Amino acid sequence: MNDSKNASGQKVSGTDPMNDLRLGAARKRLAESRNQDDAIEGLREIIANFLGSEEIGLFRVDRGTGTLPVFWSFGIDPEKYDLLRALGEAGLRRVMRGECHVDLAGGDRSGAMTKVQAFVPIRFANQTIAILAILRLLPQKLAFDRHDMELFKLLSDEAAQPLFGSNVDSKLATEGPGMRA
Amino acid sequence: MAKKILVVDDSKTALMMEREILEKRTTYQCVTAADGQEAVEKAQQEHPDLVLMDVVMPRMNGFEACKMMRQQPSTREIPIVLVTTRGEESYMEAGFQSGCNDYITKPVNGAELVALVQSYLGE
Repeated sequence: MNDSKNASGQKVSGTDPMNDLRLGAARKRLAESRNQDDAIEGLREIIANFLGSEEIGLFRVDRGTGTLPVFWSFGIDPEKYDLLRALGEAGLRRVMRGECHVDLAGGDRSGAMTKVQAFVPIRFANQTIAILAILRLLPQKLAFDRHDMELFKLLSDEAAQPLFGSNVDSKLATEGPGMRA
Repeated sequence: MAKKILVVDDSKTALMMEREILEKRTTYQCVTAADGQEAVEKAQQEHPDLVLMDVVMPRMNGFEACKMMRQQPSTREIPIVLVTTRGEESYMEAGFQSGCNDYITKPVNGAELVALVQSYLGE
């Protein structure tokens, strides 16, 4: 039996062959991205097909200005909802340190507002270089589960290079410390 | 001879995942198409035992492709399972009106997908 840790650092016992196939497909899709646009499309497909959401925001860490501008979004207007505010300062610090912030209680079904279900740090060289926000879940997706946490971990560890490519290293070199929500 | 499934989706990720599940967890063989129009053509050429098809696709959507396959004598009897992110009753009803046999929603549960496909094709 294999043990592994999920994105929250909890021990997960055993593996599920179906989940391994899903993780393998996600990893392959990201790795085979031809360019940044294709990687972004791959990220959208992974979130829609495997995690059950079609409302996504991606924020790029700019340490130079201490801000998190919107890099890309799908299904929502991130500026309108001020998504990162929902994290709060403490939550943002945790995500910047590399922890996923996930609402395991399930989706907001009211439809009246866009509620963030997960914040996933996109990491490169032990630094968070972007934050992925996943919003309302599809009606048939009731809540994230432990397998989803493994997929968040994969995105956190492996999405940076396909998404930001060769810009990753040079960007990090010019970025200083400090960040605000 | 292995039974053949035509897997149709414009998402490379979904195609990859569904194909992996079906080929690694069953004995079926998969062929793929990236939209409804290609699916109609491939169904006529490949004579699959089942079609697993996304709904929202460019060129021709899954509902239209399903209707076209039902009009062609060579594809009329092939079981068609639609796969989509839209789970509303009205949407599912539209799927059944187009002629599909079954309907599953994304995110696809691998075990459910295998069980559903096996219910049509046998193990």
